[in-house]
Amino acid sequence: MNALKQALASGPGQVAIRAVVAVALVWLVVLPLLGASDSTLFTMTLMLTSVAVAINWNLTGGFTGYVDFGHAVWFGLGAYVTAILMSLQANSLSIGWPPVPAIVVGAVVAGVLAGLIGRVTMRLKGPYFSIAMLGTFVAVREIVRTWGGLTGGGVGLTLPPYLNRQLFYYVELALVVGLVVLVWWLRRTRFGAALVAIREDELGAQMRGISTTRLKVAVFSLAGASTGLFGGLWAYQNTFVDPDIAFTEVRTIDAIMGTLLGGLGTVAGPVVGSVGLYWLREVLWANLLDYHLVAQGVLLILIVLLMPRGIVGTFDRRGVSARHLWRLRRRHADDRSEEVTAP
Amino acid sequence: MTALLEAAGVVKRFGGLTAVDGVDIEVAPGEMVGLIGPNGSGKTTLFDCLSGIQSIDGGSVSFDGVDITRRRPHQVARLGMARTFQLIRVYRDLTVAENMELSTQWAEVGLRDLFRPAGAATRRKAGDLLEFLMLGPMRDEPAGTLSGGQRRLLEIGMALMSDPRLVLLDEATAGVNPSLVEDIKDRLRAVNSEQGVAFLLVEHNVQFVADLCERVVVLDAGSKLAEGTPSQIMDDPAVIEAYFGAAGRAHQTNAGANGTGAGP
Ligand SMILES: Nc1ncnc2c1ncn2[C@@H]1O[C@H](COP(=O)(O)OP(=O)(O)O)[C@@H](O)[C@H]1O
Ligand SMILES: [Mg+2]
Repeated sequence: MNALKQALASGPGQVAIRAVVAVALVWLVVLPLLGASDSTLFTMTLMLTSVAVAINWNLTGGFTGYVDFGHAVWFGLGAYVTAILMSLQANSLSIGWPPVPAIVVGAVVAGVLAGLIGRVTMRLKGPYFSIAMLGTFVAVREIVRTWGGLTGGGVGLTLPPYLNRQLFYYVELALVVGLVVLVWWLRRTRFGAALVAIREDELGAQMRGISTTRLKVAVFSLAGASTGLFGGLWAYQNTFVDPDIAFTEVRTIDAIMGTLLGGLGTVAGPVVGSVGLYWLREVLWANLLDYHLVAQGVLLILIVLLMPRGIVGTFDRRGVSARHLWRLRRRHADDRSEEVTAP
Repeated sequence: MTALLEAAGVVKRFGGLTAVDGVDIEVAPGEMVGLIGPNGSGKTTLFDCLSGIQSIDGGSVSFDGVDITRRRPHQVARLGMARTFQLIRVYRDLTVAENMELSTQWAEVGLRDLFRPAGAATRRKAGDLLEFLMLGPMRDEPAGTLSGGQRRLLEIGMALMSDPRLVLLDEATAGVNPSLVEDIKDRLRAVNSEQGVAFLLVEHNVQFVADLCERVVVLDAGSKLAEGTPSQIMDDPAVIEAYFGAAGRAHQTNAGANGTGAGP
């Protein structure tokens, strides 16, 4: 196993990985030109969306160790802000915003709210943070459902349709590639290393001069903004939002499962894992229609048991196993400091 | 000379238990002070109070003339107080080198440095310290793969990375290979005399304290029991009673050399 890891870490292994990445990228770029159907492109775009959400989830959950059970709230917020801005009406005349500024504002709103909410919820230790975020998710969805004047309530909102699947596909592909590069670069900076230090030992990091509150809230806000961006893009493509499809816990669950499968706390893990999950689901969906959720759950348990660090984490030891992360969270919650959570 | 660290009447309660009960302690710039006492006498808790990890219920702490009683741990660290932990706190999934490079003086890390890798000077300094601590060959290993003794060494290295003016060492040599303990002693002495770094050290190895410190403070049940030179302390009947108990009275002739300090 060790020899395998070494071979992959350098020399031919490294070259092979680069070759695979290059081929995959070329294939992704030429796919629409090879005559892929609109429905294929739409599926691919949805897959890219779930890859992006998993990458963002991994920033706080995998790198920083704050396991967020409500991450999909930023997706829903981005989607709703975009939908509201684009479908504005005055005296039954459409005065909706153009898509780009609407989507950007959606991302900004999600990022700012993530910063404000994170400032409060990230004071909570270990599992308490996870539960608080789940609560945030449900609360925001219900507020959106109730606040009918602005959000259309349970009925939802319809956006002006624009169905160039190819354009959406290329935009999301570029954004996901950019996001991967951003995370890869961040992990190499002091900021990225400090995030891992927060996961490993927040109090130790504080005692060595790291302003942990600022850094963890900053990355939480960044992840929220990025997920909000993809939420806005999704709303535009879907041409319709309602509380239950914009705020669905499935997005959070998929992000967590994809990241576990690929490798918590690694750069490539959420990408590999989410794609793998998508592919698996297609296979399971086709063959085990009635039992696919069960099969998926069983598969996930097997992965955590047999490949605890995920596909990428098995070769890249920068990752963390789910069990170790769980242990770290428990210790974080038990840490006898009174200060670790103070503002 | 004014004190570098000045703590007056520090009180820390945990529910009904007063873990630290009105302790005064001073450390002058460049001084090496020992802090000893039986298990549970409040040494670690006192460190936690000094370094901002625990809020205190009474008294005050100042460092370098600045009142740090209500400062947060990272602010205290940025003023130049570093420490090691009795319960080791290294970043297990980061490499040994990353652990070191991440422990620089954060007061000097600006926003732009934050979004860059550690600089060449930091890497060199980390490399030198790791060589000295005999951790050079492990530099690219995750810190979680180190032995307990090696992790203690890494913690010392991390504390020294931040150019501290004062280092609090909490049982920094427990579990470290005895041959290396001598080297650590020499290194601490060198850091102290060459860079004027002050140390406040909790040790169960009394000989280690006696060799390094001109002054020793003894805690017992949260209060200061005695203070003086190592030889004064070793001869103090109250200290012998508290520290070594009945067994100590019987064996006090050989208690000093390698006393393990097992408390009551
Ligand atoms: N977080 C805490 N909560 C409750 N009691 C504590 C806590 N931390 C320390 N104590 C108690 O305070 C006393 C002093 O402990 P400590 O400072 O660790 O002693 P020492 O380091 O001298 O062995 C002990 O009785 C210990 O059980
Ligand atoms: Mg102690």
